Amino acid sequence: MSESTELPPELEAPPEEVKAELADDMHIATGTREPILEAAGVTMQFGGLRALNEVTMSLKEGEVIGLIGPNGAGKTTFFNCLTGLYTPTSGAVTLRGKPMPQDPSRVTEAGVARTFQNIRLFPSMTAMENVLVGRHVRMKQGPVSSLLHGPRFRRSEAEARDRAEKLLAFVGLTRFSEELARNLPYGDQRRLEIARALATDPSVLLLDEPTAGMNAQETEATRQLIFAIRDLGVSVVVIEHDTKFIFTLCDRVLVLVQGELLVEGTPDEVRGDPRVVEAYLGAPPEEIEAQLHTTEGES
Amino acid sequence: MSTTIDPPVATTAPPVQHTGRFGAVLNAVAPFAKIGMIVGGVLSVLGAFLPWVTFVLNEGAYPERASLNMFVEPFGVSGFRLHITLLGIAAIVIALLTVPAKHRIVRGLGIGVAAVALLNGIWITVEGGGLGAITAADGTIAFGAIVALIGGLVTVLAATSGGLEARPEWEWELPWWVEWILLLVIFALVLLLVAEVLTSGGQGGVVNPYAGVVFLSLLAALSGALSALSASGLLTWVGVVSERHRVFSVVVLLLCALALPFTGAGTEYWMTVASNIGVYAATAIGLNIVVGLAGLLDLGYVAFLGIGAFTAANLSGAAASAVGIHLPFLLVMVISAVVAGIFGAIVGSPTLRVRGDYLAIVTLAFGEIFVRSAQNNIAGLTGGANAIPNIPPVGVGGFQFNDSITIGALRLPSGVMYYVAIVLLVAFVMLVFGNLKNSRLGRAWIAIREDEDAASAMGIRTGPIKILAFLIGAMLAGLAGAFFAHKTAVVAYDSFRFLESVTLLAAVILGGMGTIPGAVLGASILFVLPEKLREFADYRLLLFGLALILIMRFRPQGIIADKHRKAELADDDPEDVAREGPGALPTEVK
Repeated sequence: MSESTELPPELEAPPEEVKAELADDMHIATGTREPILEAAGVTMQFGGLRALNEVTMSLKEGEVIGLIGPNGAGKTTFFNCLTGLYTPTSGAVTLRGKPMPQDPSRVTEAGVARTFQNIRLFPSMTAMENVLVGRHVRMKQGPVSSLLHGPRFRRSEAEARDRAEKLLAFVGLTRFSEELARNLPYGDQRRLEIARALATDPSVLLLDEPTAGMNAQETEATRQLIFAIRDLGVSVVVIEHDTKFIFTLCDRVLVLVQGELLVEGTPDEVRGDPRVVEAYLGAPPEEIEAQLHTTEGES
Repeated sequence: MSTTIDPPVATTAPPVQHTGRFGAVLNAVAPFAKIGMIVGGVLSVLGAFLPWVTFVLNEGAYPERASLNMFVEPFGVSGFRLHITLLGIAAIVIALLTVPAKHRIVRGLGIGVAAVALLNGIWITVEGGGLGAITAADGTIAFGAIVALIGGLVTVLAATSGGLEARPEWEWELPWWVEWILLLVIFALVLLLVAEVLTSGGQGGVVNPYAGVVFLSLLAALSGALSALSASGLLTWVGVVSERHRVFSVVVLLLCALALPFTGAGTEYWMTVASNIGVYAATAIGLNIVVGLAGLLDLGYVAFLGIGAFTAANLSGAAASAVGIHLPFLLVMVISAVVAGIFGAIVGSPTLRVRGDYLAIVTLAFGEIFVRSAQNNIAGLTGGANAIPNIPPVGVGGFQFNDSITIGALRLPSGVMYYVAIVLLVAFVMLVFGNLKNSRLGRAWIAIREDEDAASAMGIRTGPIKILAFLIGAMLAGLAGAFFAHKTAVVAYDSFRFLESVTLLAAVILGGMGTIPGAVLGASILFVLPEKLREFADYRLLLFGLALILIMRFRPQGIIADKHRKAELADDDPEDVAREGPGALPTEVK
């Protein structure tokens, strides 16, 4: 299979010792495999348009869930409901049993981080500074301590830098740490965005099309990276168009079509489901061919 | 210890193919680049030694330092003639040498020559009433300005055609004590240069109509020399060295600033000018937090300076103040800062709802409300049209800050203590800005400026953090305001009009957004110019506008660029993109 492509050294999966150190620092995993993020009957109505209808999802700890569906199926809308950007018209999103706060910054504080479909780094900050901004929410520096640069400030700053360095090593961007984000190659910008999201110590990471515009090698590297993130104990939800990527990555796959949850199951179940094939690709080729033959016959 | 010379530029570069509008011209000139640079340099020097004006101007000959009657004083090559001569000779010498980035260096020198020639030429033409003043009239000929201008332009053209190289990055590391001595010498030279620039042309006004042009001419010559130095990579290297000895540099710079009264600028007048610059520099740094870091446009910022000043005036024990108490100066400063900060938070609160242009309009309105309220003597606190006069000077024990000081045989003019105080205040404000910028808070501000939604997705509470930017910026302005009230002894509403806000904003943009030296430099230029160009007071705004347009066109990142901003705005400079382009590995010297 093409997934076993040889990766160039800078795209290889994070080294084990970096993973171990990070897992140690972040200590997110509780090892319970209990549901973390749950969406129950989420409906989102924009005027007369029902973008989401009664979507239900349950993400367990250490799980990778894939969310697929054709364009306009409501995937990103669902993401925005999960991250507090939208308030669902009805239904509820809960994180570890508590209702999700309705404000992006509080959602992040509660432990849900995200990346964006179109990369939204801070372009004129360095890679290191981007990751440091991600540490913002976990750092304890008030305005006064920021002003005085006392010993406590320096300790917290050193800790943040240390963590940022580990995260950059984790995504393989150590060599770019002092480079401005805008100058990074495209694929590396996506990896940096993931590092920045991980800097917030999330228990859930939401990735919006993490492999959009990537070649086969970069896509493979991203898969390895997501596996490594899962190994840190972070639960992951991925939106993707690339079904092959999703089927080889996720533990479970949800298929959204026109705002409805069409199918939910393991990759094998979903792949074999005729409704998914139809929703995604239209009717199977034989049927199209059959139709073509009949029309030819009629003319 | 090791002295490695590692210019990344190959000196035997292949001939450059020019494209773009002037590509054909540049390609045609390219084979003659070297000879062209030499010819340009020779013409410049020749121009400097030719007569410049056909008659003595109405206001008399140029003052001694820039004498137009050079042949009357045969040994007096001074002023702008000296500058052009030096720049021209430097261009010739460098054209003959093999140095990295030589075309870029020579271009800088040529720009300097052309700017000085153009400036003085235009001045003489305007003052003399026509082109006859710089060409031929009444049997006298004077082509100095034109020859020098052509020399400068030829130099620029030839240097550009030779292909502009990337700035070399020097990695010399000398023993620490050598570097200390070097920095000491450089900073001392900077001090002398600052004193020279400040006093150049003397005090502006009716008695001295040449002050402005002599000052501008010196600035033009300096900017040519500096751009050549920057092209050679030496400025960057000095920056790297001073970064290596950070604490030492800061201490020496502070001492140099405090030593200004011992130079030629040590008179009461220049001390007052320098103190006023200090006030506006401190305010501009505060504004830089709001505009440069957090990216929130504030068009009514000078109101906070006013609030600080009126607060201090009311607590100074001045007869006209509504509150009849007199508190110690340091306490007054703190109270002024707090009051200004409270208003800052109030003005900042709309930032929760409005962004961009709309916020600018809100702040503009606030500035107007403040001026009108102050004009109408609101609650009797501002004195209205009568202002609050006779604010007593700051006193420590029996010593008044406006007394002159005598140290042994040395007598320092009155106002020196205020100057010292404002230097310390500016240093404090710089410290605040620098520390905040390199902290969790500063990063959050920059993140909000870059992408507010992404910032809030990173867990930054954008609302409070933005208000904090306004609050801290306003507090710094309030501090400066308290000082201002005591220094000028009068606080009137018309010191805080919209124009002042615009000038402050212009200072920040001109100097370079988000940097400390930028704000100080911008404030210095914009508040010294009106002193020098008194008779041009009517055109002040026109000149500001012109300067801003030129800056935005040719150096959008400001005179001193923030490393972040520089990259952001460097797009149209092809060389910079080649150097900092996508995928470029970090090669910078750290």
